[in-house]
This record gives sequence, C-alpha cells and structure tokens, in this order.
Amino acid sequence: MIFSVERQRALQAFQVPLTEGDTVLTTLLYIHENLDSTLAFRHGCRTGKCGLCAVEADGKTRLACQTTVVPRMVIGPLSRLPVLRDLVVDRRRFFDQLSRHQLYLAKQQFCLGSHRFYPESRQFCQDDPYSSLPQFGVIKEPAEHHNLMACTECLCCLAACPRYDWEDSSFGGPYLFVKLAQLHFDPRNTTDRRKQARELGIGECAECGKCYCPNGIAIYKTAIRPLSGHK
Amino acid sequence: MACAFSFAQGEYLCGKPLPEHTGKEESHTATNGHTGENGFDVVCIGGGGAGITAAVAAAARGAKVAVIAKEPAGYGDTRISMGNMVFPGLADGDSAEGFLSDLRKSGEGLEDPLLARIMAEGAPLATAILEEYGHIFTRDEEGRLSAKVLGRTGGHSFARTVTSGPAGGVPIGQVLRAAAARAGVTVFEETVACRITTESRRVTGVVCFDLPGGTSFFVPAAAVVIATGGIGSLYYPHTDCARGATGDGFALAYEAGAELVDMEQVQFIPFAFTHPGAFLGLYCGEPALAGPAGVLRNRDGKMILEGVSRLNRAEVVRAMARELVGGGGTGYGGLLLDLGPNLALPGGRDLWRAMRDRGQLDLVRKAYGEAACRWEEPWDVAPTAHYLMGGIKVDASCESTLPGLFAAGQAMGGVHGGNRLGSVSLAELFVFGRIAGEAAAERAAERTVERAAGFDRTARPDRAGVGLNPAGLNLQSAGKGIGAPGRYSPMALQRELQKMMWEEAGIARRAAGLENALQALAGIEKKLDDLCIPPGSVYNTGVLDAIELRFMRITGRLIAVSALLRKESRGAHFRLDFPECDDRHGRKRIVLWQEEGWMRFREEGAP
Ligand SMILES: Cc1cc2nc3c(=O)[nH]c(=O)nc-3n(C[C@H](O)[C@H](O)[C@H](O)COP(=O)(O)OP(=O)(O)OC[C@H]3O[C@@H](n4cnc5c(N)ncnc54)[C@H](O)[C@@H]3O)c2cc1C
Ligand code: SF4
Ligand code: SF4
Ligand code: FES
Repeated sequence: MIFSVERQRALQAFQVPLTEGDTVLTTLLYIHENLDSTLAFRHGCRTGKCGLCAVEADGKTRLACQTTVVPRMVIGPLSRLPVLRDLVVDRRRFFDQLSRHQLYLAKQQFCLGSHRFYPESRQFCQDDPYSSLPQFGVIKEPAEHHNLMACTECLCCLAACPRYDWEDSSFGGPYLFVKLAQLHFDPRNTTDRRKQARELGIGECAECGKCYCPNGIAIYKTAIRPLSGHK
Repeated sequence: MACAFSFAQGEYLCGKPLPEHTGKEESHTATNGHTGENGFDVVCIGGGGAGITAAVAAAARGAKVAVIAKEPAGYGDTRISMGNMVFPGLADGDSAEGFLSDLRKSGEGLEDPLLARIMAEGAPLATAILEEYGHIFTRDEEGRLSAKVLGRTGGHSFARTVTSGPAGGVPIGQVLRAAAARAGVTVFEETVACRITTESRRVTGVVCFDLPGGTSFFVPAAAVVIATGGIGSLYYPHTDCARGATGDGFALAYEAGAELVDMEQVQFIPFAFTHPGAFLGLYCGEPALAGPAGVLRNRDGKMILEGVSRLNRAEVVRAMARELVGGGGTGYGGLLLDLGPNLALPGGRDLWRAMRDRGQLDLVRKAYGEAACRWEEPWDVAPTAHYLMGGIKVDASCESTLPGLFAAGQAMGGVHGGNRLGSVSLAELFVFGRIAGEAAAERAAERTVERAAGFDRTARPDRAGVGLNPAGLNLQSAGKGIGAPGRYSPMALQRELQKMMWEEAGIARRAAGLENALQALAGIEKKLDDLCIPPGSVYNTGVLDAIELRFMRITGRLIAVSALLRKESRGAHFRLDFPECDDRHGRKRIVLWQEEGWMRFREEGAP
C-alpha cells in the first residue's frame, strides 16, 4: 500500500504493508521503525486519550491512533499551526497562554478538620496548613463542565477553524474558547470569562461550526455560544 | 570495550561488583539560552502528577522552581489514567487504619511501613489537592463526596475510590497544567533530563536536551525531584503506559549515585488485548472485571482459573504465566477470558449493562467485535506492563540516599511493596509529590544559607565538568553524534531490548533467561558506541530514541539483576525456578546502587 506523508511541505510516499486493524499511528510507527527513523510525529497512549497524535488525514483533522488507515492516504501536520518538523507542530505557546490569560481557578480555601498527618516522618510540615484532613465542600458540577473537561487538548479544532491563525493574536480560536468555557462553567470560578472571550475575539467567530472535535465536544454549542451570548 | 559480565550467581551473592560503563566525555561549551543566572532552588524532572505537585509545593515554600518535562506539561501516565483515586474513611466503617492494613497485606512484606502509613493517612489530601487545582471528582446529587459515589477496586476491603467519569485522567492532566501556570513555575516542555550532576555527593544540577530546539543545556539546581513515572515502555508493545515511560528516572538516580530498591517488582495488569496490532498491550481490565462467574480458559477451552475477581493482579498474572509458559496460550499468545457465565446469574445482565454504560466495553467492541462485547465470545487476553512498585529508595521526606535528590510518584519505591492496589497510585502522586516538593525547598534553603556563608558549591555549567554535546548523548554514552554514520538504529535496538525484556524479565522469570537478558543488554551497551542518529536539530526524534535507549538499558539491567537476586516468588515477581515465597530467610529488600562505576547490591531485612 502507498502511504504519503507531508514533510516540510513536500509529499513523501512510503510503500507499507497493510494489515487488518492498522491505524495511521501504527503505520507511522512502522515507517519510523523500518523505513525512515527521521520521520517525526508525536504520540503517547495509542488509545485516544493523550491527544498528542493529532494529524490531518486526507485533509481532515484526526487522531492518528483512532483512524483506520486506507490505501493512498495522505497524512500532514495540523494546519494553521507552526510546524516544527514533519507532523510535529509547536505546542509550547499553549502553555504560555495559560498564564497570559489566567486559565486557572483562583487559589481555593481549604477547610480543615483536625487529623494527624504522617506523625512519624520528619517534622518539617508541622506548621503546614494542609497538615490535617480537609473537609470537602459542596460542588455541583454542571453537565457542560463535565463534557468540556474531556478536551484532550489535541488542537484539532484550531486546525479546522477557518478564522484561526496562530500569528494573529486578536482571535483566540476554538481551543482557547473551550478552555475559557471550562472555567466559565466551573462553580468555583470567580473571573468574568465572557469578558475575556470578547477580548480574545469571540465576536469574530463566524459561527460556521467547522471546529470539529474528534473527542465529541460540541464546541460551538457548549463553549462558543454560552461565552459569546449568541442564540 | 571488553565486557566483563559474569553471570555466575555466586558472584552476585558475594557482592562482587559488576562493571558499569563509565563512558568518555567530550567537553563542549554550553549554549544555554534557557536558564537564569543562578539556576533554580528546585528542579522537578517529569511533568505528570508527581512532578507538578512537587513543583507547586516547592514554589509555595518560596523556592524558585523549574519543571523539566519530556512531553508537554501535564501528560505522562497521569493523563491517560482512569482518574480513580483512593479515598479511605468515607464509607461506613472504613478508616485510614483499614486502608493501611490492606496496603500492608498486599505489599507481601516489601512495603516500607512508614511510607505506607503516610500514604494511608495522607490519601484524602490527594483528592483535596487535585480538586484545589481545578479537578472535580464525581459527586452525589447534593454535590458531596460521600459513600454513595465510591467505587470498589481490587484488593481493597472497602469501597473507597472516588472516580472521574469517562474521560478519566484527561481533566487531571489539564488542571495540572493550570496549577503549574498558576504557581508561576518555569516549565521546560519537551525537554529531556539526560543527567543529574553531582559534586562531592551533592546534587548540583541537571543536563537537559531540548527536543524542539535540538540543543543541550545545563540547569543548576540546589535540589532535584525525580518524578519521571514508570517503566511500561521497556515492555512495549506489552504495556498500557504512555510512550515516555522508558524508566529514565531510575537510570538518572542510579548514575547519580542514589540507591534503588526492589526493582524486580514490575506490576502487570492481567487483561490486555493481544490483537490486532494497534490494540496489543492496551488495557482491557482488572481481575474485578471478570465478575462473580468469569473464568479463564486456555487454548483448548479448559478452565485454568475461576474466582478470578476475588484475586489480586499478581495472583491472576501468575496463574496466566504458568499456563502460557506451559504452552496453553492461544495463537495470539493470550488466554481466553470467558465472561459468559455471568450472564446466567441473576443480575448478570445488569452487570453487563453497567459496564457498557461506563464505556468499559467500547475498546472490546472495536478490537474483538460485537459478540465479544456482549460477553457471548471469550476475549483473548494477556498481561501487560503497567507499574513499577520498586524504585528510588527514599526516606519519609522523599529524599533519596543522595543528599538533595528527591523522588516522588511512581519513580519512588517502597510504598506498595510487592503489589499495588488499584487507585492508590494517583493518590500517591499528590501525597508524596507535595512532601518531596516541600522537603526539596527546605534543602535548597539550607544550601542558600551555606552559600551566604561562603560554602557555594552550586555548579555553574563551566564547572560542572559535563560534556554538553548538542547530541545530548555524548554526555555519557559515546555514540558518534548526530548525522555521523553509525551501524545501529536506536529504534531497532529499543525494539530488540523490549522484546527481550518481555520474554526474559516479564511475567515469568528464571535464572537462565535473566542471564540472557543481561548478556543482551551488555550487547546493546556496546552498540551504543556505534549508533546511527539521523541529522537535523529541530525535533530530531532520532536523538530522543537514542537517549531513551540508553536509559532503558540501564533500567532494564536494574530490573534484571534485581530479579536474578530475588530467588523466590513474591509480589509481582514470579520465578519459575523458585516458585515459592521464601520466608525462611526473612523478607529481604534488594537494594542496588553504583559505586565507582560498579553495580553493587545489598539485601536488607524488610523494615
Ligand atoms: C492506562 C492507565 C490507567 C491508570 N489508571 C489509574 C487509576 O485510575 N488510578 C490510579 O491510582 N492509578 C492509575 N494508573 C497509574 C497512574 O496513572 C500512574 O502510576 C501515575 O500517573 C504516575 O504518575 P507520575 O507523576 O509518577 O508519572 P507520569 O504521570 O507518568 O509522568 C512522568 C512524566 O515524566 C516525564 N519524563 C520521563 N522521563 C523524563 C526525562 N528523562 N526528562 C524529563 N521528563 C521525563 C514523562 O514524559 C512524563 O510526562 C494508571 C496507569 C495507566 C497506564
Ligand atoms: S464556529 Fe467559530 S471557532 Fe468554530 S470553526 Fe467556525 S469560526 Fe472557528
Ligand atoms: S476541543 Fe476537541 S478538538 Fe479542540 S483541543 Fe479539545 S479535544 Fe481537541
Ligand atoms: S496516541 Fe494518544 S491520542 Fe493518539
């Protein structure tokens, strides 16, 4: 079977065997092991959980480990993101975004009971506020929060969004809106996430729904609409 | 180099050291655009639950902290876990003491009683820390964590597990990233720790390789926390662990001069897929999955194990290992897990439906089809490498035997002894991650005082005496360097090593096989001098493969030597030539370390 990979904008074809159940990931691994160990791609879990293996398969954003391979398939890196090498896009900027946009809850208060904690160990934690059993408060988790937290951060939605461009910071992009919506629906959140979303250009979203999520998150419905206030 | 391995058992017994490769080094000038002038108080290696918790805890103590993560931050096994976390004391009649007694029972005498106690008493704190980071465990209708929401996992005498819903560890991975960002710690993503430097047996820093940039650099550190997770990838594809679980931390600690304990205790989960290729090794279930009536059969349909769900992981794996070694395996190298008998029981259908609704049968449907998914056909299953109970030997403050070097999470050894109970690992990450982070911050603070008093021993790159070859490899193993023609592909050698580990140091071990394994590892070591690493600096995965190969070889050797030394079957360690647990000579912990380039060992009475 012929299997092609886009490398630095040029397509390279590989002749690979096809066995039943093979995925794009097993094929990439086959190439890396047997044909060309310079082929660069990410993966982690082989089971759809880590989101690191996201690529474009015949132009569609997909998780390589969850996509059955077919003859003459063409694999490329995610569009609209800076490519480091072969199928690897630069992910580091997304960590910086977390601090830049405060994509976290404010520090929570622990309510403490009285419970001894590792009595025999060295005493360096004696004055520690955590050193007793915490009491757990009531948290009513909205269904939206639960669904949105299934985001594997695979970045497929960014690659699929016609409006997104990593070089243009005026539009945060669907992934960032999902992160904001997670916090928006968290009962412990104290920051105005809608305001943040507006500042990050959610108003420019074309409502086209092209931000397909391989993990089944209805991005427009559960993240963008509640943040933007669109009906 | 002449390999002076001798595999006569007597040699191990009289403590004669084994030679260890001491490698030659080339010195290069550091091209370091990454670190601040003074380095860091605490450097945490690993960006899973343990590494990030340690970093956040150290930062809360005022330390200047960096996280070095081979993957993006917030990944590792933590992210692909099921998100189940032990929470003792919530169910009626349950208590920390009850949990401790379960821990100690399952440890088969190898657990460290103090660490186990810290684990048992600290467990609820883990849930609190993680929720404080932003996670929400499944709660009851009133929004509380109560007995109603608890799940039951194998080996626990009570239902005492809080759960995370179908996405499992995915939300946990996200909130770990958030916690690191909130704490303001410096994060080096996709950066591999290659070596921990020391001076007069004190930690001075970490030599790193930056994968996207293709450069090596040195991070000075007053204290280092190893939180690099496990060893699953030494058994690839027979593992359900993340790709990065290549045992780096054990090799890093060993080379730095710290002690390791009970490295032979590799936990295998009994039920993983055996085919098709894309599924091989992936998790399909715990013993509990078998339900009240599920049984294991061999290739001929003969029943080899009943009451599966009442046994722990090790017991089931051992029964399977015996049958597989005896030739009872299927063409796929597995056994048949027959859940059909459950359907005939009252409530059997409900059990099935509950499992389906929890999504536990989705992968089964994909791999084995509809009938298997409905329990009408048996599943072809084999054990898969999951977790290492042994690891870096630490005291109650998570400090190793090398001052300033700490370990937390799966990288540390001794909490679980010979078996790990389900859902305890995630809790240990937060309990011990926090202790390690705080203790490391304290160590660093002590050293700051020393510095002020004129005892500055913190190494600078030029004083560290390490080669900073951009290959990241010539750091210690030779290798001709990037782009130079060499004979051996690192990836091919990795696959060779993994196959050998699975066959000789896997679920059933014997002296001859382990000696073969050691021979093979020595062979691989020689080939490290003649690697073919493709050219290119940016994201050159060939370099990563080579660095990991080197770590896998060292850690593989630690596992194999420890397995050879333990001449009994205990916990997860099953010796075909010593099938019984040997209590006559007392319970022994096996401790390994390196001294002047030699591997040394000692047997310690279990505490
Ligand atoms: C499929 C699966 C399901 C599981 N489910 C559960 C569960 O429900 N409950 C439970 O309690 N336990 C579970 N476990 C076990 C548990 O998830 C792990 O033991 C735990 O997450 C390990 O955490 P850690 O922080 O020690 O390591 P990890 O989370 O594995 O993180 C280690 C990190 O260190 C990095 N690293 C490694 N080497 C280097 C290096 N040289 N330089 C820099 N970085 C490095 C890795 O890339 C990784 O990011 C599960 C495990 C698996 C595989
Ligand atoms: S709906 Fe908005 S965010 Fe989604 S693809 Fe369209 S423009 Fe992008
Ligand atoms: S929302 Fe979906 S597509 Fe976007 S990053 Fe998350 S999991 Fe990927
Ligand atoms: S490898 Fe983890 S999602 Fe594909």
